[in-house]
Amino acid sequence: MRSNSISRFRLSIIPGGVISLLLLFLAFGVFYILFLSSDYESFSSSLISNRIFGLIKFTVFQAFLSTLISIIIGTFLAWSLAHQSSFFGRNFLIALLSSSLVLPTLIVVFGIISILGNNGWINRLLLYFFDYSFGNYVYGLSGILIAHVYLNASFAARSLLHVFESIPKERYKLAKSLNFSTYQRFILIEFPAIRLSLKSISSTIFLLCFTSFAIVLTIGGSPAFNTLEVAIYEAVKLDFDIPLALKLALIQLSITLFLVVLSANFKVGASDIKTSSSKIPWSEPKKLKIFQISIISFSTFLFVLPLISVFIDGLGADFKRILSDEIFLKSFLTSLVIATFSSILTVIFALLISDTRRNFNINHRVKKSKFRNFINLLIAFSGNIYLAIPSLILGLGFFLFSLKFQLPLMFWAVLAVLCANVLMSLPFALAIIYPPMLKIAQRYDKLAFSLNLNGKKRWLYCEWPYLKSSVAYVFALSFCLSLGDLGVIALFGSNDITTLPWYLYQLMGSYQTKDGAGVALILLVLTLSVFIFLPKVFKNASYK
Amino acid sequence: MLHINNLTYSYEKTVYDFSLHVDKNEIVGIIGESGSGKSTLLDLIAGFLTPLSGSMTFKNEDIVLLSAEKRPITTLFQKYNTFEHLSVIKNVLLGISTSLKPKKQDLKEAKQILKEVGLEGFEDKLASSLSGGQSQRVALARSLLRKKPILLLDEPFTGLDLQTRTKMLDLVKKISKKRELYTIMVTHELNDCKLIADKVYKVENGKLCQV
Repeated sequence: MRSNSISRFRLSIIPGGVISLLLLFLAFGVFYILFLSSDYESFSSSLISNRIFGLIKFTVFQAFLSTLISIIIGTFLAWSLAHQSSFFGRNFLIALLSSSLVLPTLIVVFGIISILGNNGWINRLLLYFFDYSFGNYVYGLSGILIAHVYLNASFAARSLLHVFESIPKERYKLAKSLNFSTYQRFILIEFPAIRLSLKSISSTIFLLCFTSFAIVLTIGGSPAFNTLEVAIYEAVKLDFDIPLALKLALIQLSITLFLVVLSANFKVGASDIKTSSSKIPWSEPKKLKIFQISIISFSTFLFVLPLISVFIDGLGADFKRILSDEIFLKSFLTSLVIATFSSILTVIFALLISDTRRNFNINHRVKKSKFRNFINLLIAFSGNIYLAIPSLILGLGFFLFSLKFQLPLMFWAVLAVLCANVLMSLPFALAIIYPPMLKIAQRYDKLAFSLNLNGKKRWLYCEWPYLKSSVAYVFALSFCLSLGDLGVIALFGSNDITTLPWYLYQLMGSYQTKDGAGVALILLVLTLSVFIFLPKVFKNASYK
Repeated sequence: MLHINNLTYSYEKTVYDFSLHVDKNEIVGIIGESGSGKSTLLDLIAGFLTPLSGSMTFKNEDIVLLSAEKRPITTLFQKYNTFEHLSVIKNVLLGISTSLKPKKQDLKEAKQILKEVGLEGFEDKLASSLSGGQSQRVALARSLLRKKPILLLDEPFTGLDLQTRTKMLDLVKKISKKRELYTIMVTHELNDCKLIADKVYKVENGKLCQV
């Protein structure tokens, strides 16, 4: 008998399938060019020299410490926020925590240096009151850890808060009726609920810190605190030692691939800025309440302080000069254009891949089978390629392509930056768009088929009203991630192609701190405005 | 007459083999435990699932190869029958044309049917503002507007309170008889069947047995 199912969905399978294949082809191409370009003999002769071993050791060490501290702080903060659900500014704080995901790393570095640097607020205060200074302690491991924890503890807190708030309130009521202590409540109710998420959030943070580039580059200080990623950059850009860069890239690729496979339940959490309003039915003892409020206040202070410093320092900048600077205008426009294009591409890719993927998750579309599971896995992997191939390695791949194929460097640079931005945003985009798309299909497929709602009409009545807020959120997220990225552009950045982060990095490198502060402020305001306000413009139709 | 002859389907080691005859102006009730295959039967009849073998004829015409929207069938689902962001009248008008550009006659007919299901005056309300019973009335109105002779009801009133459910069942019976429909209702409540069905079948071991 003719199969209605496949023929009905053929159209929705093809576009996303083609994109998945293209992404897999791109990954394969990068692997291929890296292997093709490496000199096997020199590669195997001294596979892991002392220097490389030191690099691996430090990369793992800083990633481990950053993850551990971020998770501890993030868990305490999320736990406190979950139990203190009504205080002034809570929603704003949570929106800020969510925005840590898209804060340009250079802004964070700028803020941290502004507070803790040699001429930072703390040293200036100490000098003023006690005639004493800590000196230049922020560069090196301490600075790397502070910046990583700043970005990732807030990411962990936001993701875990969502899990805490998802715990059924009946469990709390039951625990209360059984006279559980706060400790028992945590061990028997809360910890089992967050345990799985802790694992996936930890592996996310570890991978992010393991492949961290901009922070280590700007605040690492000396080669002793280099990570693999920065060493690759230095080998290409400073030493022109392509064989070494290739060796490091292949080592890094092997490790990231191993890590991705090891954490099989790896999921990218991208909680949006909405929060649950339902209150946990448990009034905390007074001492515990004070403890939780202290954690929230202290964390808020630490989180907001660098941002305030960027604002205050930025306000003192000469904006007239900055805004009339040709390089600034060029980098600003380039950043906007690249961010817009990559966000549009990310949204389209995420929608099409999700549309294709949901066919392989719904029984009335494609029947359950091992083949269906395999295709489902392959499509999911194609959208998460960035986890295995960090942007700098992707950039190196494109750099090698540019050496092999004689096309203008500008072409390769734009292509590399666009690809890196799209790949970087895609895991988050899919994590946000796929679940509602699957839900829409599960709920409305039969109704849509029986009413003959196809193509444009189905999109108009059935999909868009329920997706528009997610699409706007993905667009904003992708726009901000692209706007603040200092990855591939570090390899290709030149007078011909420059972006705002690259321009800011050059200002910081040449000690033009005042102009840097102004540019940082512009970047921060632009990022926060897009991220917080754009999703509010589009509101979803509600599910009942 | 609707003839379903040995319509087979398999899912996770269970093989279903359904045969059923429904006459004009007849309401057939199908009961069975959760997971017994009641909804699978409706999905096969409606064209959401493709059978492995068997035939289904309506007025001597084979309809088993037709796609869902081309079958002379309209279905009232248990949930998600309306688009919450659209008004009541727009939800109903989707039954006539998906372009939502109705002619005067269509609008008149839609309002008439809303009156028939007891929703006069609700035309401009958003579907999201309706109660469960009202939502199902909107869906019923749309189903009737489609003028398809076979009406499938997939546990449509589960979750409604007893009073509303009884009212809705009465309404379905009245409308089915008035419009001389071929009605098949799946439910897990035998009492619902007793209220409106002319014949009752039970799904057991993948087959239909008359109760």
